[in-house]
Amino acid sequence: MPAKRRSPQWPWQGLLVLILIGLAAGLWFATQRIHYEWRWSRVPQYFLYHDEASQTAPVAGVVLAINPSGADSRIELQPEGGGQPVAVTVETDTLKVKPGDAVAEDQDLGAVRSWKIGPLTWGLWVTIWISFVSGLIGMVIGLITGLCRLSPNPTLRGLAILYIELIRGTPLLVQIFIFYFFIGTVLNLDRTVAGIGALALFVGAYVAEIIRAGIQSIPRGQSEAARSLGMSATETMIYIVLPQAFKRVLPPLAGQFISLIKDSSLVSVIAITDLTKSGREIITSSFATFEIWFTVALLYLVVTSILSQVLFWLERRFARSD
Amino acid sequence: MIKVNKLFKTFEGRGGQIVRAVDDISTEVAKGEVVVIIGPSGSGKSTFLRCLNGLEDFDDGQVVIDGIDLTASKTNLNAIRREVGMVFQHFNLFPHKTVLENLTLAQQVVRKRKPAEAKEKAMKLLTKVGIAEKAQEYPSRLSGGQQQRVAIARALAMDPKVMLFDEPTSALDPEMVGEVLDVMKQLAKEGMTMAVVTHEMGFAREVANRVLFMDFGRILEDAPPAEFFTAPKEPRAQTFLKQVL
Repeated sequence: MPAKRRSPQWPWQGLLVLILIGLAAGLWFATQRIHYEWRWSRVPQYFLYHDEASQTAPVAGVVLAINPSGADSRIELQPEGGGQPVAVTVETDTLKVKPGDAVAEDQDLGAVRSWKIGPLTWGLWVTIWISFVSGLIGMVIGLITGLCRLSPNPTLRGLAILYIELIRGTPLLVQIFIFYFFIGTVLNLDRTVAGIGALALFVGAYVAEIIRAGIQSIPRGQSEAARSLGMSATETMIYIVLPQAFKRVLPPLAGQFISLIKDSSLVSVIAITDLTKSGREIITSSFATFEIWFTVALLYLVVTSILSQVLFWLERRFARSD
Repeated sequence: MIKVNKLFKTFEGRGGQIVRAVDDISTEVAKGEVVVIIGPSGSGKSTFLRCLNGLEDFDDGQVVIDGIDLTASKTNLNAIRREVGMVFQHFNLFPHKTVLENLTLAQQVVRKRKPAEAKEKAMKLLTKVGIAEKAQEYPSRLSGGQQQRVAIARALAMDPKVMLFDEPTSALDPEMVGEVLDVMKQLAKEGMTMAVVTHEMGFAREVANRVLFMDFGRILEDAPPAEFFTAPKEPRAQTFLKQVL
């Protein structure tokens, strides 16, 4: 049997590697030209840092004794005016007094260290939960609007079309401002609520169109079969049409939710400290502009990649019946 | 069992002309009777059949199923439809449910049967149509003939009083037609009231009590099969039979 003729792949793969190396080199030369000094070592502390809290003497007095226990030391203080001795615990290597020393009130005795969550981690968390909550609400809004859009009732259909066109025809940034400064002021909303509300309304309009298309893609025979078995229109929608439609719209929905995570960076304009705003704040104090922006971009990329993997897995699970 | 009185159904065709799909039909189907409706395509036989369970809403006239008027304002169409089983040309099985779930879903949702009861009924019917071993498969894994037999079982699971068949073998490969017709014959033998739109003349000859010949939305001939196939009175029926036989 003759072997199948196949053009070799490796020259093209080699070219790909070459182009990537070229891009990396270009980036390096570009930063050389502007004399940028990379300080990647400054970045980790914005995720997690070791905080030192200094411990001060609660009263003026004399150090009676210092009892080490593990890495800590317990300082016994005899107050000046007499009375019960007072104890302060510090870490041994930060100890600043000896037994017999006289200490003034509020004098620094040593410190206790603890791990603290940095602003980048915190910002990432805010981005994730704001996206999650607004995505969830947007999904509900989208489902209801999508069904209204297909309703035979002209009022429901008209309202749905109006909402979808309004949202899709205006920029999200403007919607966020309107939601925060107008609706937020009228209803006295917290900025987080306003941000989530604006994002949810925004994503809801797009989800509605996706769901409408999904429902319309299910053949009429499906609902006819369900109706011929005596199911009501609602039962047909719940048991027959929506499950099949949902399976079909999963890929476009995934794209929409990935967009939502990225679009959520716009809520930083109403002073919600999400990942983007955290990054901006850190830059003002660290001057590691490039490093922080690259890190922020990478974090968004990680979150969106994880989400797309999860949805891909869901899609494959639903494909069982194909 | 089925009483149809002066039924009209029109569609608006392209260019605004009115197409009379069902044009002044009156007929009756008695309990246990098997009526086969034949005619050229576009003659309105499927539309007529779909009017019988309200899947198609008609413009004028009256359809009475088991004493209940479909057009009466207080009639609950869903309640009637569960008494009228329907089998479609393209099966219309629910692709996201297993064969067993296809049979149990409506029993549980509409008839409010317990899951165990619905499952027992479903398995009994699947055994009857000869595909009990496929109960856990999804419909896409079944051949056309098997899918259509599942569809028949699904309709029977609701314990209907009437069964409507809308060209049940037209979408099947020739070698699978037999297995579906066998199930239908058995059903007829058990005394089910059936209205069947089909091109299977052999089935009509063998099983039908009456043959209705339709064209232009009207019933042109209504006769027992022996009479219809040997000596049709209508010239339209004569030419039609000459073409298909």
